[in-house]
Amino acid sequence: MVSTFGNLFLSGAFVASLVAMAFYAWAAVSENKSIERIGNWVWGLKGLLVFASSAALIYLLMTHQFQYYYVWNYTSLDLETKYLFSAFYGGQEGSFMLWIFCGFIVGLGLIAWTRKPYKAPVMFVMALTQFFLLSMVVGWDLNFTQIGATPFRTIAQEMPNAPFIQANPNFVPADGTGLNDLLKSPWMMIHPPIIFVGFAMMTVPFAFAIASLWTKTYHEWIRPALPWTLAANLSLLTAIFLGGYWAYETLSFGGYWAWDPVENASLVPWLIGTAGIHAMIIQRKSSRAHKASLFFAILAYVTIVYQTFLTRSGVLADQSVHSFVDLGLYGQLLTFILVMTFMGIGFYLYRYRELPSPDKESKFLSREFMTFTGSMLLFILGFVIIIGTSSPIIGRLFVANPTPPEIQFYNDWSMPIAIIMALATVIGQFLFWQKHTWESLAGKLIMPLLITSVAAVLTIVIGDVRNLYYMIYIFAAWFTVIGNSTVMFSLLRKNPGMVGGTVTHIGFGALLLGIIASSVYTEPLLDQRTANYNARIAAGDVFDEEGFPVTQRVEMFELEIDRPKLINNRYMVTYQGFDLTDSPRPGQQNYILKFEPIDGSSPFYMSPEVYPMLTTSSRDNIEWSVDPFVRTGLTSDIYLYVAGSRYVERRNQELQRQNRPGSIIPVGETDVPDVQNIEIKMGETIDAGPFSFTFRNFIPAREDALPENTQIGIRALIIVEHQPTGNAFEVEPLFAVYTDEGRSFTYSPPLEIDRWDMNIMFTRIHPESDSIELTVHGLDEDFEEDWILVVAEKKPFVSVVWLGTFLLMAGFSISIFRHWKREKDTQESRD
Amino acid sequence: MKPKIIVGVLAIVFFTSLLMYNFGNSISTYVNFEEASVRSTSHVIGTWESSLDHGFSREAMQFSFHMKDQDGNVRRVVYPRPKPNNFEQATQLVVIGEMRNNTFHASEMLMKCPSKYNDPSELELLNTAES
Repeated sequence: MVSTFGNLFLSGAFVASLVAMAFYAWAAVSENKSIERIGNWVWGLKGLLVFASSAALIYLLMTHQFQYYYVWNYTSLDLETKYLFSAFYGGQEGSFMLWIFCGFIVGLGLIAWTRKPYKAPVMFVMALTQFFLLSMVVGWDLNFTQIGATPFRTIAQEMPNAPFIQANPNFVPADGTGLNDLLKSPWMMIHPPIIFVGFAMMTVPFAFAIASLWTKTYHEWIRPALPWTLAANLSLLTAIFLGGYWAYETLSFGGYWAWDPVENASLVPWLIGTAGIHAMIIQRKSSRAHKASLFFAILAYVTIVYQTFLTRSGVLADQSVHSFVDLGLYGQLLTFILVMTFMGIGFYLYRYRELPSPDKESKFLSREFMTFTGSMLLFILGFVIIIGTSSPIIGRLFVANPTPPEIQFYNDWSMPIAIIMALATVIGQFLFWQKHTWESLAGKLIMPLLITSVAAVLTIVIGDVRNLYYMIYIFAAWFTVIGNSTVMFSLLRKNPGMVGGTVTHIGFGALLLGIIASSVYTEPLLDQRTANYNARIAAGDVFDEEGFPVTQRVEMFELEIDRPKLINNRYMVTYQGFDLTDSPRPGQQNYILKFEPIDGSSPFYMSPEVYPMLTTSSRDNIEWSVDPFVRTGLTSDIYLYVAGSRYVERRNQELQRQNRPGSIIPVGETDVPDVQNIEIKMGETIDAGPFSFTFRNFIPAREDALPENTQIGIRALIIVEHQPTGNAFEVEPLFAVYTDEGRSFTYSPPLEIDRWDMNIMFTRIHPESDSIELTVHGLDEDFEEDWILVVAEKKPFVSVVWLGTFLLMAGFSISIFRHWKREKDTQESRD
Repeated sequence: MKPKIIVGVLAIVFFTSLLMYNFGNSISTYVNFEEASVRSTSHVIGTWESSLDHGFSREAMQFSFHMKDQDGNVRRVVYPRPKPNNFEQATQLVVIGEMRNNTFHASEMLMKCPSKYNDPSELELLNTAES
């Protein structure tokens, strides 16, 4: 019922977007205000319909209607309400709906603020993009083809051939499969909305560029478009940051960036958008670079659509760990990208000859040239990343079945580009605010260069940097920070509202410093033995059983309970055991590791977690997932997770035993007697399994521990040692003989060694052989001490990566306010 | 104007060819275990053979398992790290490394765990569990 309405609303919205498009086109051609107003009303109606269908989907999710595939696939009964809500955009279809909704809101803003002559053509383009996005979710079944995949389809529609559906078409699962545990994170709740706000806002410069080509007014469009582009970039940057932070805190690859196609998918539009911002700034200041700002405004949106195509069409299926489910939208997505590209680039080329071009070339030492250089460098970097990400398509030129490029490809290209960018930002910023000749510029740069040299040399010496290339990079990064800071301080005195650009550039420099420190200078935390072993591997002295040299270093170490190990000659690390808990995830183990720095600073604890991933575990196979622990510090982070443990290994063995069909138990595996009697002389040591028992001597028992009427009461001092680890406990079990109603009884209270699940009783004395008898329960022949495998890394200055990102965000925000305010002021003065 | 355009075009051509050359070198092609034995570094796609022995050895500090490539060759794979998250659920594995004496030494391993449960059999299992 609700779903019928949901589908109807979606179809209505789809039609409305088409109608709105038609009205806006008409209004643009006829320049008729009242037709444009009708278009606005249709736009509003379309928004209402999208809102209603989203509400319907959220209602189905909240009320657990598992007959719907989307509800079943992304939620379960035990899911918290906030995650039920975020499941709305957890899947491919819902995320399209969120994107559409964000686009609608942005459209409302455009209707309110855009002036003639741009409003109608801009809204036409907005409606066109909405039309394409809505086509992905309408789910119309035309006989010859299917348009889109609706989130409201039932399980029966999704898998009509499944046997249980054929047996019972009305089958409703009792529970859903639930949300992936990795995604149950507050970061992941806000990440998608922010990214789609960014995508939606990046449509605006595209729409303005088309409108400008349409109306042949090439100068004015950037004024309203610039704040939107800045805001879109701020959103994308925030989303990229949230994604990186989430990956760092949640995943076990140990970093915030992996050049994964999905990550690149949001980075490239950001780079192109930033290139566009640079071009627009030149155009605004100096009436130049019209071609570049139009081109980048178009390209930024085209890359968004292109990357959407890559990640959602199934093209990247082999390459990305987190590409979306292939919904069979390949054809539709391809049409989307082709139409956007041909409309944008085609229109651009069609008008190319009419576009204003400057009368004479800019000088090398001018703000125009430098800003344009920045813009080109950003574009080139974006281009390189697009080539890399497109390897399943472009790679076919080279090999039949292409793999993604090595990470090295991205690093090799981005590093030199970043260095040139870094140097250009400083010169660009100096020239931006004041005209300079070579001499005057050199004069201005002396101080910043001196400070940069000092900072760079200090960094190189303290950080023990040996690589010349890295030295240049570090110098360039410091130069960016210091040079731009110099400009910022002089601006602060004049006009603090204008510091946006310098703040972003300082942030960029800080980001470069943070990236190199935290990636190249990450060191694994290891114990001495493993470190020595790795040194032997590096020297080529280790061979495997087949005689081949081992080349892979070991980057983890083992800890046994309560046995401290010295790690990296800096910390005494002790594994102190784990707690089992059912909150927030059933079956979760919280491991406790104590770090004691040997320089005497205060100890700290780290508590990584391991938990069974319920959504993907089944009765006969638990899939264990790790949740790393990150200790954030100003100068370095410690990143650590438990890669294996005795508990997990035992649970897996238990499961394997249970699952062995008609399990045949080998002799001796189960019938090991649980109780053992050990006869032992004073001073003697007896081995039992992995344990040894040493009887030191008798000690007198205290009166109050003895029963009444005791005749003999004595304790034995026993040392129980777990031989493989050398852990030992001293126990003093009691033996007493007392009389009750004329009869003699012995009294042997058991003493428990909790950690080994063992208890010991002193049950007899043999005076004739001068020995005693111990009865030991729970002595396990296969016993091993609790242990964990730890993967840990020390990452210097991750904090600086975040600092750089925050500065970039701050700079963008300042610029948005400045440009937005000016735009409003000019509008008011015009009205 | 003229020489500037020529320089610009040359720069673009040079840059693009360098980029494509480097790109071509940094990608590789997916092969099977047979082909991998005569190459240095290879990418092999396959699936986990869960019937053969697998597990993490604490002595050798490596995870080993058997993998069947797309042409049906089964080989032992060793991976010098703990068993990755999602290993069992992966519908497809990509191992990157080299073949030595019929054992594949992986330096990297990618798990493909795309859609959670597009596989209807999973639902069936759920269904029978409840009835």
